[in-house]
Amino acid sequence: MFRKLLFALLIVTLFLAACGPSVTATPAPAATQPPATEPPAATLPPTAAPIVLTDGLGRTVTLTGPAQRVVSLAPSNTEILFAVGAGAQVVGRDESSDYPAEAAALPTVGGWSGFSAEAIVALQPDLVLAGGINPPELVASLEQLGLTVYLLPNPVTLEEMYTNLQTVGTLTGHEAEATVLAESLKARVAVVGLKIAALTERPTVFYEFDATDPAKPYTYGPGTFGDLLIQRAGGTNIGAQLQGQWVQISLEQLVVVNPDMILLGDSAYGETPEKVTTRPGWEVLAAVKEGKIYPFDDDLVSRPGPRLVDGLEALAKLLHPELFK
Amino acid sequence: MRRLPYLWTFLFLALAILLSIAIGSVFIPPADLWRILTGWLSAAPLPESLKTFAFIIASIRLPRTVLILLTGAALGGSGAAYQGLFRNPLADPYLIGVASGAGLGAAAAMSIQWPYTFWGLLAVPVVGFLAALLTVLLVYSLARVGKTVPTTNLILAGVAFSAFATSLTSFLMLRSTGELRRAFAFLLGGFTQAGWNPVLTILPFLAIGLGFLVLSGHALNLLQFGDDQAQQLGLPVTRTKTLILVAASLATAAAVSFSGIIGFIGLIVPHVMRLWWGVDYRRLLPLSIIGGAGALLLADVLARVVMAPQELPVGIVTALVGAPFFLWVLRRAKNQGYW
Repeated sequence: MFRKLLFALLIVTLFLAACGPSVTATPAPAATQPPATEPPAATLPPTAAPIVLTDGLGRTVTLTGPAQRVVSLAPSNTEILFAVGAGAQVVGRDESSDYPAEAAALPTVGGWSGFSAEAIVALQPDLVLAGGINPPELVASLEQLGLTVYLLPNPVTLEEMYTNLQTVGTLTGHEAEATVLAESLKARVAVVGLKIAALTERPTVFYEFDATDPAKPYTYGPGTFGDLLIQRAGGTNIGAQLQGQWVQISLEQLVVVNPDMILLGDSAYGETPEKVTTRPGWEVLAAVKEGKIYPFDDDLVSRPGPRLVDGLEALAKLLHPELFK
Repeated sequence: MRRLPYLWTFLFLALAILLSIAIGSVFIPPADLWRILTGWLSAAPLPESLKTFAFIIASIRLPRTVLILLTGAALGGSGAAYQGLFRNPLADPYLIGVASGAGLGAAAAMSIQWPYTFWGLLAVPVVGFLAALLTVLLVYSLARVGKTVPTTNLILAGVAFSAFATSLTSFLMLRSTGELRRAFAFLLGGFTQAGWNPVLTILPFLAIGLGFLVLSGHALNLLQFGDDQAQQLGLPVTRTKTLILVAASLATAAAVSFSGIIGFIGLIVPHVMRLWWGVDYRRLLPLSIIGGAGALLLADVLARVVMAPQELPVGIVTALVGAPFFLWVLRRAKNQGYW
């Protein structure tokens, strides 16, 4: 008797769990649902046509005109906004957005450990530009508060990055600048491509971005810009052989592959070529013996924005100094 | 203060609610706060300059305050019930697997890219909730010996299964590149979805679970004599224990599913209440529910302020501030060996 009762209770529970939300809650993402009080007013000058775009989550986002008060939730977004000439329209940023220098002066609305919805609302943005690193729960929460949120998808190729520039240009009314920027970036990438096309030697590169455990540092695997840019710069990324995007490589594998060159993307965290030479076991590597260890600005390959091209040029210069004099 | 436990805990809760609404990463001057609150009460239209503040209070702070309040209530109440049920001062609402199950479910749900729809956004909390309940059910049936469920078996099965589920969660987190931060936030109790939907979704489970617990104070008092004695006093021991277990787990699982795993509240609040106001479970349970709500609200205020505008996961604050506070209460307590 009692077991039946327990069983029944569980069934009821599961049932409640299955249909509870639909019974009790109103549909969350409905853009039509009016918030409790007036949403932060978007004081826009009336412009000709509304801007309608589909974002990285497949949501249709509508702006009545180019956004004038933008809050950026990812460093790459901030860099794109400033690069297309919309820097003056940015009113807030995430904690990690430190480039360009003007951006660092803007008020922050949160960071990796969490964003403050009220800090975002208080800035009265007419557009919140989220990135692929922001979770969908955050987008849903902000949307529910009546804010206009556009999630810029994470690009995997340079072409997709150019598309993102174009998108941000459209959202902020800087389409022409975005086009000019994309064209100039493409031209610079083409120059690098031409110079390395004649190469027969492709040095093998080990790029580390976290060596907290020097016995198995992290490196960029296939599908990352770190990998893509090393290839485009005329090198062979040894991480390309690994499974996964941000992966650990063991020192044993490193010794077997014996890369020609070591790049320290973790130089911002205090790693130096000198430190690498003192790591136990690393002395057998050819790159260590020949001193081919170079610090590198990881932001140039990890932030999917226009500075990826700076990263490409910097990599090409490191790998083939003879071609870029 | 000895005389009126309810008055004091309710005052504490009221203070916590007030602070939770008044304090956030955006500073709202007390005068403006007062004008907004009185404006609502008198239904007078608010001046344009206060619209944003009013929106922040009504649409951001209030739903969060209520969600945190309910979560704290569930953890405090379930903690008191678990401690009474297991007659063990180390028991907390996560003892037999709610947290490890919810964590595993949430991490598994996060490894899948759900569509951005109403149900897709609910996937993580719903899977976490179901996994928590399944874990409790599994541990319960593993601990079963014939028709009885010995307490020791239950604790041991719970600890062993929790270790297993926690390892699996860590494995999933390491496997899933990129989503690590999200799973981490869940495990630290910093998983927040704004708005009233979470509140409305967990409310029925909490009402059932906590409602039952409040009524089971007498049974828990009898259980303190030991199972045999309680049986002789006319209590259907196994059935009572199971129902209390289900009710407490239901409330905890619902609370955890939307807020993430918040530690320490369920362990410490019942102890503080017991130290101050005695061991009678008829009183201890409601007091722990109210106290848990107040304590978690205060912890959440700190979590929002310490690194503003970044928000800390509240689970970090509960232990960081809660542990020293509890040790202070313990040192001051005059009734040695109160347990």
